[in-house]
Amino acid sequence: MPISNKVEPYAAIIGAGRSSFGEQWYKDPEKLVMEAGIRAMESVDSGLRRRDIQACYLGSFLYQATNKLSLLPGYMSRELGINIPMSTTEAACASGGSAFYNACMAIKSGKYDVVLVGGFEKMTDRVSKIVDDLMFAADPHEFDAGFTFAGLYATMMARYIHDYGQGQSRCIEALAQIACKNHHHAIDNEYAQYRREISVDDVLKSQPIADPIRLLHCSPISDGAAAVLLTKPDLAKKYTDTPVYVTGSQQATDDVSLFTRASLTGIKATRLAVGMALKETGLSMEDIQIAEVHDCFTVEEALFLEDSGFYEVGKAWEGIYESYESNKGSKHIPYVKDGASLIVNAGGGLKADGHPVGATGVRQIYECFKQLRKEAGKNQVEIDGDLNLALTHNIGGTGGIAVVHILARDVA
Amino acid sequence: MSEPMARRRILVDYRIRASKCTECGRTYFPPKSFCNVEGRGSRMSPVDYANSKGMLVSGSVIRKPTNKFLHLGSYISGIVSFNDGGVKVPGRITDLVPPDGEVDVTEFMGKGVIPRFRRLYSDGSDGLIYYSSLNFSFEDDYFPYLEYKKVKPPETTTRPGIVGYGVYLPKFRIKNEGEALGVKERTVPFADENSATFAVEAGRMALIHAGIDGMSVKKCFVGSESPPYAVKPTMSTVSQALLLGEEYEGGFFSGGIDSEFACKAAADLFIDAAALVAYPTFSGEHVLVIGSDNSQAERNDPLDYTVGAGAAAFLFGRRDVIATLDHYVAYTSDTPDFYRREGQRYPRHGGRFTGEPAYFKHVVTAMKAALKVSGLSPKDIRYVVCHSPNAKFPMQAAIEAGFEAEQVEPGLIVKYIGNLYSGSSPASLAAVLDIAEPGDKIMMTSYGSGAGSDSYVFTVTKEIEKKRERSVPVRQMIENERRAYVDYNTYREWKELG
Repeated sequence: MPISNKVEPYAAIIGAGRSSFGEQWYKDPEKLVMEAGIRAMESVDSGLRRRDIQACYLGSFLYQATNKLSLLPGYMSRELGINIPMSTTEAACASGGSAFYNACMAIKSGKYDVVLVGGFEKMTDRVSKIVDDLMFAADPHEFDAGFTFAGLYATMMARYIHDYGQGQSRCIEALAQIACKNHHHAIDNEYAQYRREISVDDVLKSQPIADPIRLLHCSPISDGAAAVLLTKPDLAKKYTDTPVYVTGSQQATDDVSLFTRASLTGIKATRLAVGMALKETGLSMEDIQIAEVHDCFTVEEALFLEDSGFYEVGKAWEGIYESYESNKGSKHIPYVKDGASLIVNAGGGLKADGHPVGATGVRQIYECFKQLRKEAGKNQVEIDGDLNLALTHNIGGTGGIAVVHILARDVA
Repeated sequence: MSEPMARRRILVDYRIRASKCTECGRTYFPPKSFCNVEGRGSRMSPVDYANSKGMLVSGSVIRKPTNKFLHLGSYISGIVSFNDGGVKVPGRITDLVPPDGEVDVTEFMGKGVIPRFRRLYSDGSDGLIYYSSLNFSFEDDYFPYLEYKKVKPPETTTRPGIVGYGVYLPKFRIKNEGEALGVKERTVPFADENSATFAVEAGRMALIHAGIDGMSVKKCFVGSESPPYAVKPTMSTVSQALLLGEEYEGGFFSGGIDSEFACKAAADLFIDAAALVAYPTFSGEHVLVIGSDNSQAERNDPLDYTVGAGAAAFLFGRRDVIATLDHYVAYTSDTPDFYRREGQRYPRHGGRFTGEPAYFKHVVTAMKAALKVSGLSPKDIRYVVCHSPNAKFPMQAAIEAGFEAEQVEPGLIVKYIGNLYSGSSPASLAAVLDIAEPGDKIMMTSYGSGAGSDSYVFTVTKEIEKKRERSVPVRQMIENERRAYVDYNTYREWKELG
């Protein structure tokens, strides 16, 4: 489905690059993000020079605590060898998405013609304290209550199982199937951290981390970076014949603390951001063909399917179960309902592709860019009809922020 | 955390302090300066939930904690709602060790929970220790919920005495396999308890028992030989957690001090408390005295088979007195029977020297002197309680002073809880007050190594009966079906954490 000609894109993506995700012991954080940035520049069909970049937006979460770095613009200026305006966005796991959002606003403002957006995280530098550091994205009272991040999502998952699954084993299986599906999607993703199949049984018998969350419900600790290049929509064709347009760009916030929110079984910021993004693009969730969803823990993917309106509240687990069971053999396993079909996390999502926190939001854009341009190689999504619309969903903390983008290759 | 961060958190976390909109009643935790609905012009008033019963909304069994909580192993963290969901807070379920197998957390949803003042973690062995009331025990677990009802006392005053008391005994126990001088089992602190947390819990129970507002307590003494800090009072932690004295800009118009005199650090101050409430220029109605210890003993030392953990708190006043303090004698000498040098972790003792020339000499002398000054004979006393390092010493001392075994037996709770050090004789006094009748006379004799004894005679009044419904009798705690036994290594591990 083409986007209405009344929708003015915020920006056009003309290049994208990323590093492999996983343990990158031998690369400094700034080298990692440069690797992604260089690949993004090299991916621009008509070429792009460093000095064409007029501003740089970076997303990262724990660089100060974990990597003992600050003033990232200074590092990036040194690496790129240019002295342009640069800024860093920290929004926990949505740092990358927020950097991309800011970059879109910068292009839309008219000030810059070309900007580089980078996201990175180097989590393995201090693995012994990463569980503690991740709690920077929560209220300190939650830390002092003994919570871990897995524990907070487990608190949501437990309530979801209680309220909607009513203890049924199919609900528990569905929340495991999300991990299996995303691992399956990563098999042909050359950059993914985990390129191996896992079974529901593997998930449900994996190490308990924070009951009811087990190890294989969780996204991993990862190092990695991703980068994309944005330009003004009317300049895009100068760089490539197939730009991808950012037609929706929305962000919503909510309490940093899970305990102060009205609901444990839904993310208000997601509902708001998705709703606004769909509204501004004149689309409904049924129009979206692929989505990169923030599956930091599998339950979050289920919550997205409800918060976005794809499935009814309380019914996602049934949709997930039925979709997984009926599409097991497919290369990409879609979520289906009443004729609509949505492929979520075609590259493996945070779960299997990896979750270098600040890189994730940008990596989601990268994945959609490649898929919409049919450049995903062996992992290319194949659907009936033309693949044209993608949505990215990047959240921070337990839902203190949600950043949603809608991307389209063809606009009217 | 840091010192200023800790101070800011103390103001909120000790009391679970929220802010409530005076217009619409919406409540916010952490507290906010304006109501989201009523706008910036709204007025907010503080509201505390530290004495309220909450409900567990959801939670998780944390199997891989943050480094700060590794010492607790696995535990449940969750979200608790108060006021029918009007305000929610995060909290950790304490006094509970989840089983190794997967726990169905949904089974805990909707269960009542009670705030507990517990230690969170500390900044190493030389940094601050952090506490919070955002720890909860299940309502149907060991500690019942006691509603804190403030009762207006009568206008008339009497001779000073006890107006309320509370004994805090941890849920956990260790059984002695051998004889251990009559001590069969002992109380064990959970991994997040220490003498400061015991003191707060016992003090809270005393306030609830007395039915008084903490605002009227203008002095608080905490006696202990296991204070968490060498320098920094436990008393100020108790005052902040229990709101003792009138609150003013985050502090309180009240005073007090920590005291140390081995096991009589608290009992010694009963007379001072009674004297203060009768002193004309003492501005308060009440004085709180708490004896609290995570009784120290080195691994495999003979003491290691008699020490317990817990606290007893006594409120003194002149109205609504349940037991008047009628007679007092103290006896002191420089007898080096038991001591701990600064910087040393465990006390040393003189073996058999701690008996005849130390404990017995001081306790028996004080008891006999108290009989003499009171003009009472042993038969006039209904119950006799003494500091109880074990079950044999107090019985032997009382008999030597002319008492019968049946006068001593009801207070010999040491058999089941171990030696509470500073809390020992006060907890024994509480145990007999639990069963005493109006008119009964009780003699309590402390002993503190180093060495000295205080002997008090109390007379029970009729006020005691109406307050009983507001307390948990010591025997009930001793026999509580939810008490849980731990092995020796767990006992040592938890005790040393405290």
